Amino acid sequence: MRKLIFNYVQTHKGEILNDWIEQMRQQADERTFTAMSPQMFTKTSSEFIELLISNFTETEREFQAKLTGFAEKIVKFGWPLNVVTLGLQTFRQIVSDGMRKDGLVDRDNFMEFVTEFDHWMFPLNDAIIASYTNTWERTVSLQKIALQELSAPLIPVFEKISVMPLIGTIDTERAKLIMENLLNGVVTHRSEVVLIDITGVPVVDTMVAHHIIQAADAVRLVGAKCMLVGIRPEIAQTIVTLGINLDQIVTTSTLKKGIEEALEMTERKIIEVEEKR
Amino acid sequence: MDSCVKIINEWDIVAARQLGRNVARDLGFGTVDQARITTAISELARNIYLYAEQGEVCIEKTESGGKIGLVIISEDQGPGISDLRKVMEDGFSTSGGLGAGLPGVKRLVDEFHIESNPGEGTLIKAIKWLR
Amino acid sequence: MRIPILKLHDTLLISIQWELDDQTALQFQEDLLHKIHETSARGVVIDLTSIDFIDSFIAKVLGDVISMSELMGAKVMITGIQPAVAITLIELGIRLEDVLTALDLEKGLEKLQRELED
Ligand SMILES: Nc1ncnc2c1ncn2[C@@H]1O[C@H](COP(=O)(O)OP(=O)(O)OP(=O)(O)O)[C@@H](O)[C@H]1O
Ligand SMILES: [Mg+2]
Repeated sequence: MRKLIFNYVQTHKGEILNDWIEQMRQQADERTFTAMSPQMFTKTSSEFIELLISNFTETEREFQAKLTGFAEKIVKFGWPLNVVTLGLQTFRQIVSDGMRKDGLVDRDNFMEFVTEFDHWMFPLNDAIIASYTNTWERTVSLQKIALQELSAPLIPVFEKISVMPLIGTIDTERAKLIMENLLNGVVTHRSEVVLIDITGVPVVDTMVAHHIIQAADAVRLVGAKCMLVGIRPEIAQTIVTLGINLDQIVTTSTLKKGIEEALEMTERKIIEVEEKR
Repeated sequence: MDSCVKIINEWDIVAARQLGRNVARDLGFGTVDQARITTAISELARNIYLYAEQGEVCIEKTESGGKIGLVIISEDQGPGISDLRKVMEDGFSTSGGLGAGLPGVKRLVDEFHIESNPGEGTLIKAIKWLR
Repeated sequence: MRIPILKLHDTLLISIQWELDDQTALQFQEDLLHKIHETSARGVVIDLTSIDFIDSFIAKVLGDVISMSELMGAKVMITGIQPAVAITLIELGIRLEDVLTALDLEKGLEKLQRELED
């Protein structure tokens, strides 16, 4: 029976592919395919069918390697997993219909056909889902690292003055990272004043405030001063409503004001140069 | 590797934290985590010396779900602690210390378990995971 | 082992170079107070650049030394606290409020001079 299915699939490859593409277009969600040009879709589809066929012929190792490569590609194109499983079902339906029409499968051997087909469909199904999960997990962890790297740069703007702009939500993990970057930066740049700019932080709750107070304390211990700038009206409101005490920290509404104050603290100021005529 | 230090006198506190610092460094912890681990060990070892007179601090490597961690176990057969909630509050001390030790250790590590029965002794287990 | 205390004009300079055990820390507290008395120094700079951790005991000794020195009329400046040490102290819950700090010995001396002039 295995041989029978294999021969059928091998000899009807072209038809199966066309049918498959046709049916997939009808069934699957529009969005899946708009991201791809029709040629690209045809090419990827035939790769998919080739992959299914090679499942019959090649050794497991070769197949696994191909499968992983394909799964990665599909993830990159944004084909959802359900489209891929739909693709597998459709493939099975087409082969089964085709073989029945050709009289290769009838009522007598239908059960045998189903058993054999499932026999190699199941591991394939599992393998595809596993590849998907792996690829996703890898993508997620890479994104997490990328996010961490990007999350808290300390920028030395003037001699003795640095700025750390914070963007996005702050959780405990990130707060620890911010603290480390902040202190290491202060020490390497030899900053005397460091401004934490929270313009880009959407919410300041007690937890975030607590981390900011701790950071300011730690900055003081290494021998510098910390200022909190970019306090938007709604942030000021929540801070006071929550009863958070930021008395120990110098705060200003804008980064510009903060820098002026920092320059004053380090006994400098910006002056306008009169233009020579 | 000798991974336990008996705490009998003040010098053993130094030995315990040196052991911890070395293990932490070998496991690949960064400088901040090394400082956290060393400090936590110092607090636990000093508590043994101060309140239980003698005991032992052990440092072990642990693995779970692909993560590597360092375990600090501090054990003594001293007087024990009757009110565990109270000693975990910042600033509580029976010796005129800052009372920062136990609650501080809890903040320095990722996992903290304490078991103590008056008259029997105290067992503390703290874990720091490698990030 | 004793920690050396240097005198520079009216300032005492201490650079702690190795890990502090409890005995050395207490001995240092005593030596420093005597030295302040002896020299009528008005300022003290303690440099901690080489120290890689501070636990609650050493923090208490340090805090006490600072208060005691101020009682005797000497201002204390702590310099060179490493980032890892600062983070650990904060997490322990030790804030060392009202302590004067500077990035390094040089800046510490400058800052202290300014404080003494005020
Ligand atoms: N191993 C122990 N056996 C018995 N009692 C203990 C033990 N460890 C701690 N305690 C009790 O718990 C209290 C709190 O300990 P903690 O380490 O938090 O503060 P501390 O040692 O008093 O001061 P610090 O550690 O800040 O110098 C101690 O004062 C002591 O009464
Ligand atoms: Mg203690």
